[in-house]
Amino acid sequence: MKYEMMDAKKIIGETTAEEADLNPNICVVSTDSAPRTGMGKFIEKYPNRYYEVGIMEQAAIGVSAGLAVTGKVPVFCAPAPFVTARPFEMFKIDVGYMHQNVKVIGRNCGFNYSDLGPTHYGLEDIALVRLIPDVVILAPIDASQLRGAMKAMLRYEGPVYLRIGTAPIPKIFNDDEFEIGKGIVVREGKDVAIITTGEISVNVFEAADKLAAAGIDAMVIAMPTIAPIDEEIIVKAAELTGKIVTVEEHFEVGGLGSAVSEVCAKSFQVPVKRIGVPQTYLSSGPYEDLVDYCKLSVEGITETVLEFVAK
Amino acid sequence: MKVNDINKLKATAAKCRQNVLRMIKANGSGHLGPAYSCIDIVTALYFYGMNVDPQDPSKADRDIFLLSAGHKGMAQYAVLAEAGFFDKSILDTFGQFKSRVPGHPDMHKLPGIEANTGSLGHGLNLACGIALGKRQDGYGSKVFVITGDGELAEGSNWEAAAIAAHYKLDNLVVFVDHNGLQISGQTKDVMSFEPIASHFAGFGWATKEIRGNDMDEIVAAIDQLPFEKGKPNLIVANTIKGCGFSKAENQVNYHYWNPSEADMALAEKELEDYLAGVQA
Amino acid sequence: MNDIKKLALEIRIEALKMMNHYGFGHVGGVLSVADAIAVLYGKQMKYDPKNPKWDGRDYLVLSKGHCGPALYSALAIKGFFPREELLTMNKLGTRLPSHVDKNKTPGIDMTAGSLGQGVSCALGIALGLKLQKKDNMVYAIIGDGEAQEGQVWETLMIAPNKGVKNFIVMLDNNKQQLDDFTDNISPLRDMRQKAEDFGWFAVTVDGHDVEAINNAIELCKASGKPGFINLNTIKGKGWPAKEAISNNHAFRGPAFAGVDEVINNLQKELEALN
Repeated sequence: MKYEMMDAKKIIGETTAEEADLNPNICVVSTDSAPRTGMGKFIEKYPNRYYEVGIMEQAAIGVSAGLAVTGKVPVFCAPAPFVTARPFEMFKIDVGYMHQNVKVIGRNCGFNYSDLGPTHYGLEDIALVRLIPDVVILAPIDASQLRGAMKAMLRYEGPVYLRIGTAPIPKIFNDDEFEIGKGIVVREGKDVAIITTGEISVNVFEAADKLAAAGIDAMVIAMPTIAPIDEEIIVKAAELTGKIVTVEEHFEVGGLGSAVSEVCAKSFQVPVKRIGVPQTYLSSGPYEDLVDYCKLSVEGITETVLEFVAK
Repeated sequence: MKVNDINKLKATAAKCRQNVLRMIKANGSGHLGPAYSCIDIVTALYFYGMNVDPQDPSKADRDIFLLSAGHKGMAQYAVLAEAGFFDKSILDTFGQFKSRVPGHPDMHKLPGIEANTGSLGHGLNLACGIALGKRQDGYGSKVFVITGDGELAEGSNWEAAAIAAHYKLDNLVVFVDHNGLQISGQTKDVMSFEPIASHFAGFGWATKEIRGNDMDEIVAAIDQLPFEKGKPNLIVANTIKGCGFSKAENQVNYHYWNPSEADMALAEKELEDYLAGVQA
Repeated sequence: MNDIKKLALEIRIEALKMMNHYGFGHVGGVLSVADAIAVLYGKQMKYDPKNPKWDGRDYLVLSKGHCGPALYSALAIKGFFPREELLTMNKLGTRLPSHVDKNKTPGIDMTAGSLGQGVSCALGIALGLKLQKKDNMVYAIIGDGEAQEGQVWETLMIAPNKGVKNFIVMLDNNKQQLDDFTDNISPLRDMRQKAEDFGWFAVTVDGHDVEAINNAIELCKASGKPGFINLNTIKGKGWPAKEAISNNHAFRGPAFAGVDEVINNLQKELEALN
């Protein structure tokens, strides 16, 4: 299936600028991470609402929290590992514990920086932020959802973490409707339910077709909100299909797979197969090679689901 | 400032120390040393240096105080109570489960608390964010921060130092409670970065050094703000940890104090005697 | 000094070749740090290419880890591994990832990539050596954008207190970071003065004058304190069309246009020195 490919950074920047037109409190904080990475439009329009601090992520989070104390809605966007792992305590206390209205965007998540190696991969960001109570976590599925999620995030009262890979991402959904906390059944099915998040989901949609050709009728659920997770849709899927697979460009521990497993363990126990990145320090290399290695490719997902369903 | 106004401030500081003792009595223990060393500064700020209204604690054009060294929290509680931000009876719940005056301050529990500090090294960046936000909205709000000296080892402070200078936050005033002691012993033995002022000067701050338990010097410093237009302000306040209780002065083991009845009675008596003398 | 100048040219040539071959690299910062690395591997550091973990060696932590290619070139030229291996950078299974990794490459003493972390590790190495009463030198190279990270200041604060004399931090002060000139983002002001205020022996030198760099290292060694060398450098030095222009942090694909001519010119300079 051929999808229009769009520049995620541009969408982030444009939506921020548009919402900033409507809400004079929106401002942007950058750690040498904004002008050439999507926020150019905002900076041009609202230079006095733009705070560049340099390469200092702990400060960026602290400053964002301070701005929020004065009623501003700060948006801090930088590569995923550097807005989560690096300033984790600041995120936990200045944003989470104080319940500040700060929006943190982890861009270039997953293997997006495939050239740059484990120091630049964002494979544990969802797991980390899940441990901070009350922070909403969004991982939009496509370009439309990214636009919708950005708007929803900027209009929501409270801390939000949004993660996105910023290589060109497909436009799959037609409109940018987005409701925080809701999963979407993209494909009905009864043999297995595949729950997926983030822009790697496009591989799941293709895999579902291949599975259908192989006689497996897969339900596909897009889950762009990881916290608070849509427990209802998970339980319904578990009841209907009896088998769940999760897919994410994130460690197979701690992220979507773990969140879904926790719901099942609590409410309706079914086997859950987590497809994600093995918990190890993967070498750098071409993005496709890394995706293949982790079986996050269309073939990899198809194979894994076939095996899992056959058991 | 007139001498008898300074005396009033000194008396208020002593009453605030009484409030600290009240909290320690209620809880059985507390950070006496740190609270006592900075309480003269906190008193001077709330009763002289800051534009705040206890009846309207969130008014938009207010000055803002952050206790970056959150473990000195009792000092702020004591002063806020004395200034009328809340009823003094709340102090008696210090340390209790779900208390509004928990071990480290909580902005959602008590009027007058602007941020949840406790983990060292957060306050300066928060302060920069607040200063920037207030400026963006056109308020002349000043932002006052008290940090510890050991706390300055945290790199996040130096990130804030760069931001404050770059953004010319001359409405930002940082007092370093330089009492020379931290948990492991004398600061100069654990980690020496004397002189503190020159470290900040290199980052572009205007600096001053005062005796942090001398009300005249504190007031004089406040009167001179901003020290240099366009530069954030650093005041190295040389304090005596535990100042206000002779037994506690400069004693590492009064950092966190578990008082005996006799010790507490002595501390209380010293304040009563002092107040009698000052008012005389 | 001639040998060091030659080494610096060779480092630039090999680094440009390998980055161009892969189609991506942090060209600006790799070129600005080449002379410092040449002084270290050409003159100052003790090492054994056949025994990279020799316990008598000096250590280098490239805290600005994204400039791996500059260091890899030096290591290859000096025989730590074959020059041909340079062209495997970033391929799946390589020993040469784009950010230095101590568990992958012979001769790399510390993994780096997240800015600010390497220099703390370097201090740790220095402290460990001091504990063992060894006098091996420990060098760390940081970038100016990197110096914005508070973690760098933690290291700058603690080292003078711990009596580490065999520790030298070099700042590749090339005035630019990713999005803009450093002064526009968060000015470092007078880094030499600040380091001195923090208790270091601190000097500023022309970061492309190998003799001056060498002398600075000698002064640091003689000072009895940890040493800080503020290298005034030009981002992209060696590729005239890209020197000090904005946006010369990282190149991908078509940005390498013209690199062959640059390599040729560097080659000619090298021959002229022979």
